[in-house]
Amino acid sequence: MKKGVLLFCFDTIDHEYHKILERCVYLIKKNLKLEITVVTDIVTYKRLKPLGFVNYKLIEPEIGNRKNGQDWLNVDRHMAYELSPYDVTLVMDIDYFPFTDNLRKFLDTKYDFLISKNAYDLTNRNSFDTRRFSIIDMVWATVFVFRKCEKTRMLFDMVKYVKSYYSYFCDMYRIYDKRFRNDYAFAIALEQLNGFISYDTLPYRLPTLPPDCKVIGMDDTGLAWRHNDQINYTNDQDVHVLNKEVAHV
Amino acid sequence: MDIGELKKQSDLSYNIAVAKRNALEKAESRLVVVYREHIFCADPQTINHVKTLSEMHTSPFYILDTNKNPVEITDPKEFLQLLIERNQEAISSYHQMSKTFERRGD
Repeated sequence: MKKGVLLFCFDTIDHEYHKILERCVYLIKKNLKLEITVVTDIVTYKRLKPLGFVNYKLIEPEIGNRKNGQDWLNVDRHMAYELSPYDVTLVMDIDYFPFTDNLRKFLDTKYDFLISKNAYDLTNRNSFDTRRFSIIDMVWATVFVFRKCEKTRMLFDMVKYVKSYYSYFCDMYRIYDKRFRNDYAFAIALEQLNGFISYDTLPYRLPTLPPDCKVIGMDDTGLAWRHNDQINYTNDQDVHVLNKEVAHV
Repeated sequence: MDIGELKKQSDLSYNIAVAKRNALEKAESRLVVVYREHIFCADPQTINHVKTLSEMHTSPFYILDTNKNPVEITDPKEFLQLLIERNQEAISSYHQMSKTFERRGD
């Protein structure tokens, strides 16, 4: 059974995401030791330095959201099923840095689809308590694992359907932020497809650094950040970094 | 009363508290294991549960994974060993980290 990691990476005018990808690929090879496929566009591909054995799939990304006045090409996640060459796939955001092998084991389960409902705020401010922004539990599409099968294919079809009628679903589930979010698209699709009851999840809170934290240093084992003139660090722990300036560290 | 010293102490305490909380979170994420295609947490409750069943019940026995799905355990010894090893790996790492917090607090 073929197992691997699928990453999406598209540079924008504001951010050089390919630099973040280069770090992420290095850590995947070092810690997860899985084959990697990168979904990207030709412009980003040409900027990448040689990354060793990595598969590429070139697509033309759909115009995405704008966040804080900046472009954000992030709406192609629903194509992961078609784009993945693997039987079991770990899909990760490129700003999720795997400093451990923690995610590796989730490719060895019997579950068809696993995703986390919780993020852990590394600054201890509990800023990812998303329950109050909608009447549906949000999931974090930052990291998920799927096995190719009929049920999973239907899930991705459902995500596409939700995406097509996103404003309707936003109103239905009283989602505060009207911009398209993969997190809510997957949460809605999972709930709809599972008969409006619970579904299987990763028992794992994604360690996350909020956007107001500036990463000031990073090595093979972890990173340090500054927040409110306080410096803190973590090592041997995965970190999802929301501040895109990490590309320049 | 030197307000600057108090502020420094407060900042230090805050940093230590955040680092300690993060180290504990790191340990808890390491407790998650996959055994026979199911996910378990190598916490004291699971360890005690498996140990009790292995001693008081004939093999095989059944327990629930983290998604509340039943799993048949045919080799309790192997499973218990995995749980204890992972538990101690995570907690001993947390112990090492907590020593550095003590030093930072001195």
